[in-house]
Amino acid sequence: MRILSRILESDTKRNDAKLPRILPALRLSVVLLCILLCALSRNAVFVVGILAAELARLAMLPPQRIAGVLGRLLLPVLFTLLIMLPSVFLGHSRTMLTVTMKVTCSVLLLLLANEEMDWKDVTGAFRTLHIPGIFTMTLDMTVRFLVLLGRLADAMLEAISLRTFNVLKGRKRDRARYMTAGGVLGTTFLVSQRMATQTYEAMECRGYDGVYRSYEKHRFGWQDAVYALLIPVVIAAFIYCQAAI
Amino acid sequence: MHIPDNYLSPETCLAMTAAMVPVWAVSVKKVKDALPKDKIPKMGVGGSFSFLGMMFNVPLPGGTTGHAVGGTLIALLLGPWAACIAVSMALLLQALIFGDGGILAFGANCFNMAFVLPFVGYAVTHLIAPKFGTEESTKKRDLIAAGVGSYCGLNAAALCAAIEFGIQPMLFTDAAGNALYCPYGLDVAIPAMMIGHLTLFGLVEVIFTCAILAFVRSAAPEMQLSHKESHTSMPLRVFLGALILATPFGLLATGTAWGEWGTDEIAGTGIGYTPQGMVDGFQFEAIIPDYSVAGMPEWIGYILSAVIGAACMVILFKLVSLLKKGSSAA
Repeated sequence: MRILSRILESDTKRNDAKLPRILPALRLSVVLLCILLCALSRNAVFVVGILAAELARLAMLPPQRIAGVLGRLLLPVLFTLLIMLPSVFLGHSRTMLTVTMKVTCSVLLLLLANEEMDWKDVTGAFRTLHIPGIFTMTLDMTVRFLVLLGRLADAMLEAISLRTFNVLKGRKRDRARYMTAGGVLGTTFLVSQRMATQTYEAMECRGYDGVYRSYEKHRFGWQDAVYALLIPVVIAAFIYCQAAI
Repeated sequence: MHIPDNYLSPETCLAMTAAMVPVWAVSVKKVKDALPKDKIPKMGVGGSFSFLGMMFNVPLPGGTTGHAVGGTLIALLLGPWAACIAVSMALLLQALIFGDGGILAFGANCFNMAFVLPFVGYAVTHLIAPKFGTEESTKKRDLIAAGVGSYCGLNAAALCAAIEFGIQPMLFTDAAGNALYCPYGLDVAIPAMMIGHLTLFGLVEVIFTCAILAFVRSAAPEMQLSHKESHTSMPLRVFLGALILATPFGLLATGTAWGEWGTDEIAGTGIGYTPQGMVDGFQFEAIIPDYSVAGMPEWIGYILSAVIGAACMVILFKLVSLLKKGSSAA
C-alpha cells in the first residue's frame, strides 16, 4: 500500500529534477532488456557486470533514497536466499549465489527505474511501445484503485471495529468475523464497480476514445541517443559473456 | 601487506582484534562527535580511494609485489579517526567479497593499515609541516609533509606486519620443530617486508597521497573537513571513475606479495614444507576471489571489482550518515 501510495504521489512530484530527461520508453526498454538477459544468462559474469553498474548508480543517490531502495530490496533477497537454501545442503552453493544475484540484480533494476521514473512516465512509455490502450488503462486503473479501495476498506474496518462489542466467543466469533470480512469485501467490490464506471464516464466526457495519448512531448535528443547506445552495448556484453565460458 | 588467514596463529589474530576493538570504539565516538553528518559520505569516497589504491600492485625485482594504502591521505582529509573507520571498512570489503586479506587476520590487518598507518602518517605530517617552507607557500609545504608522513606511515605499518609474521615461528611450532603458521622468523620477515616498503612501495604511497591530495585541494575541496560544501563535485566523480578504469594496470605486476602466498605456493618459497597450521587452517571462499570473475579476462574482473568495491564503500557510508542526527546530507 505504501509503495502504491508512492506511485500516486510521484504523479505530482518528480523524484529528481537533476536527472537528465531520458525518453521513458527507452529507459523502460533498457531495464526490461537487462532483466531478461540477466534471467537468460547461463553464468554469473553478465549478472556481476549489471550488478556493478546498478551499485554505481545506487551510490550516486542521496542517503535517504539509498536506504529506501535497500530496504525494499532486502525482502526479495532474503526470501530468495531462504528458498534456495536447500541447494547448499545438496552441494550446489554456487547455484544459491547465482540465483540470489540474479534476483538482486532484477529487483535493483526495477527499484532504480522506479526512483528515476514517474508512474505517468511508465504509462507514457507503454504508449510509445505500442502496447494496446486497454492494457495501459487496466494497469493504470488497477494501481490507482488499489490505493483508493485499500483506503476505503481500511476505513470500513475501522468503523466496524469501533461499533462492535466483542461478546461472542469461539466458533460464533470466528463466523461473525468471516461475515464481516465478506461484507467489507463485497461493499468494496460494489464501490469499485461504481467508481470504475464513473471514472470511465468522466474520461469519455474529456474525450477518451480508447487510445492513450501523451500530451507531454519529448524530443529525441543527444542524451536519448547516448542512452539508446546502451541497448547494443548490453546485448554485445551478454553475447560476449555467454561465449566466454 | 594484506595478511591472509593461517599465516598468524588464532591466538595472535585474537590479540590483534582485541587491540583494535577499543580503537574502533573510540574512532566511532570521535567521528560521531567531530565529523558533520554531511561529511560522513566523504569517508566512503576516501575509503574508495584506499580500496582502489590497494588494487594498483607494483612489482619489485625478485617476484614480489606491493601497493599503496592511502590511509594517510584520508587522515589528512577527514582526520585519523575517520581514516581508521574508512580503511577498516575497505579491508572488510576486500576480505569478505574479494578474498584479499584473511577473515581471522582482519583485526591484524586493521591494526597495521587502519590504525598504525593513518595515525603515524597524520602525526608525522603535523609534526614536520611547520619545518617545511613558509606560511606563504602553504600548499607546497603541506604536500612535502604529507609525502614524508605517508612514507613513514606505510613503513610503520609494514614493520608491524613483519613483526607479526616474524614472531610466529618463535611461538608456534610442532613436535618436529617446524613452524605451524608463518615459517619465517624476524630475521627474514623484517628485511623481506621492509626492503620493498622502504624503497618502491613507500614511493608509490608518497606519489598516491601527494597526487590525490593536490588534486582534491584544487578541484574537489569538499572532501576536506574544513570545507563547508559537502556535495560531491563532478571532477571528483570523474577522477574516481578514471581511477577505476586504470585499476587493470595493477595486473602488470604478476608476482605474489611477500607473505601473501597461497597454501600451494609456500613450500616453493624456500622452506620446503607447508606449515601444518596452514594445511588444517580456516578456509573462506570469497564471492569474487582475487578480484577476478571466472571465465572473464582478468582486466574486466578487476574493473568490475573496483566498481563494486567503490560503490559499496560510498553506499555504506551514506547509510551510516543517516544514523547521525544533525544537518541533512547533500
